[in-house]
Amino acid sequence: MNCSFTDLEENTLIAKDALSNGEVPVGCLLVHQNQVIGRGRNQVNQSKNATRHAEMVAVDQLLDWCRHRNRDVRAVCERTALYVTVEPCVMCTAALRLLHVPVVVFGCRNERFGGCGSVLDVASADLPRTGTKFKVCEGHRSDEAIQMLKTFYKQENPNGDQTHTHTHTHTHTHCVHICVLCTFLFPHLFISLFLLPFFLHFDSFSLFFNRVPSFLCLSSFFLLFSFL
Amino acid sequence: MEPQRKRRKGSACDTDSWVAYPVLSDEQSQDVELIEAFAAPIVDKKETSRLVRELNGLYPMITLQHIKRVRACKEEGSPHPLEVLVCLVSDAHGQEKMVSIDSLLPSDFRRDGLGEPFVVKVPARPPLTRPQFEIASKHWPLAFHEDKQVTVALKGELFSPLQKAKMHMYMTTALTAAKAGREGGMEAVGAVAVDPAMDRIIAVSHDCRGKHPLHHAVMVCIDLVARSQGGGCYSYDQYPACHFSSPSSNPFENTSEGEPAFQPYICTGYDLYVTREPCVMCAMALVHSRIGRVFYGTTSADGALGTKYKLHTQKDLNHRFEVYRGLLSKQCEDLNGLEDHFEKEHLKE
Ligand SMILES: [Zn+2]
Ligand SMILES: [Zn+2]
Repeated sequence: MNCSFTDLEENTLIAKDALSNGEVPVGCLLVHQNQVIGRGRNQVNQSKNATRHAEMVAVDQLLDWCRHRNRDVRAVCERTALYVTVEPCVMCTAALRLLHVPVVVFGCRNERFGGCGSVLDVASADLPRTGTKFKVCEGHRSDEAIQMLKTFYKQENPNGDQTHTHTHTHTHTHCVHICVLCTFLFPHLFISLFLLPFFLHFDSFSLFFNRVPSFLCLSSFFLLFSFL
Repeated sequence: MEPQRKRRKGSACDTDSWVAYPVLSDEQSQDVELIEAFAAPIVDKKETSRLVRELNGLYPMITLQHIKRVRACKEEGSPHPLEVLVCLVSDAHGQEKMVSIDSLLPSDFRRDGLGEPFVVKVPARPPLTRPQFEIASKHWPLAFHEDKQVTVALKGELFSPLQKAKMHMYMTTALTAAKAGREGGMEAVGAVAVDPAMDRIIAVSHDCRGKHPLHHAVMVCIDLVARSQGGGCYSYDQYPACHFSSPSSNPFENTSEGEPAFQPYICTGYDLYVTREPCVMCAMALVHSRIGRVFYGTTSADGALGTKYKLHTQKDLNHRFEVYRGLLSKQCEDLNGLEDHFEKEHLKE
């Protein structure tokens, strides 16, 4: 099983499922070595527990997965990436730190509660007793995430107060901008550098992610100059 | 006779052994910031109202509405009785600090009764607390819209002896739960959710990190509150010290037909007592749960209700609440004392 676009599409499907259940449409996947070991959507209304965000639900599945296979939770988490449609809130960001998850990929920003830079930057803050800092990559499939949130806030929420996200259309980071620029200039480069990592092993994926932005930046400058 | 006297004395001393202090926002607790301005003596008192009016028109000093324009002269036997603020040093573009009154005022300004300017320091922001006001007013007189509750709270006198006795009881319950958790091999942290309107404990919890790395005492407590409302996600049956009681066990409240008297909604209106300051995850969980107030015993290194963050006063968040620290601080410190000491030593290395 590969961590391919089908998985990332599944993410969107999970969020759509939440939407049809009257919950805030946030879907997420925990991917460990090409395998989805946790998935979740918001269950706040259902559980009457305001902390049942998609990430927390997915973490419970990860813990079950570890328990059944008798695997060390920390060792598994240290090689797991979270894909989530919306930037994790401050609480979930701290939870992911406490679990030592090294990478989080999200679609759009969460201006109301975001813990990866929007309200606070807990992901990279100096908190020596709150697990490990993690890397963030934002802007992945953000348009769809935004669209779903807009649909959610347009439709009547039967449970009154619901709190998770509010989005701005300005969500693309420089990372995504560079990717778009690259696609425009030289599609093969984009495919090989940005898309390929998703089909590869997670370890190489994270390795790529560390280097992709600078790599792409350099490449695009190089290409620009060659065109001129 | 003897044991009874001893017990009474003991319980009275217990509530006197701690003080609940409010954890205020940065704006409320920061030092008074000063800004430089030019003041000038009013040598002719009869000109005062005209000078103030015309200076207000010329230099409105909009950001300093809390500052009084005129002050009585400080030193006794001063040749002039009053001093007036002319403008901020930053308003006088490119001026040296030694200036003449002529360079600050346009030529058509009637400067009768005005002496030569000098630099003073005035408070840059309106004071939010009495301590800030007392320091700020030493520099220049200013207006203060006092929040009396904050003033009383800062003195540690907000809660009556009766209220303190109740708070003492709830925190003692949290301490007992913390010890139960420690005996089970967990971190020594306990939490209690209380409905203050009914004076009733809704949920009691301790740290349950043994089975689930995110089951900090506060997270467990929030889920137990959800259980009390017919929700919740986990079973803590293996931890007898973690329990809840349903707020609607009163048969008159829970009628199947008609309007329900009162439906509790997550932690709205509840107080949380926790032996140590919550971490970022737990503090934000309390924001999401709309907690009423939080009381904690001792601070923690990465705490998010005072130490590293003040999530309860965070402007961008949709819910704010009051936080008090210092309840049974000695007993709460003793719970984690050894571990904390060890960890601190470990971090230093
Ligand atoms: Zn969250
Ligand atoms: Zn915590």
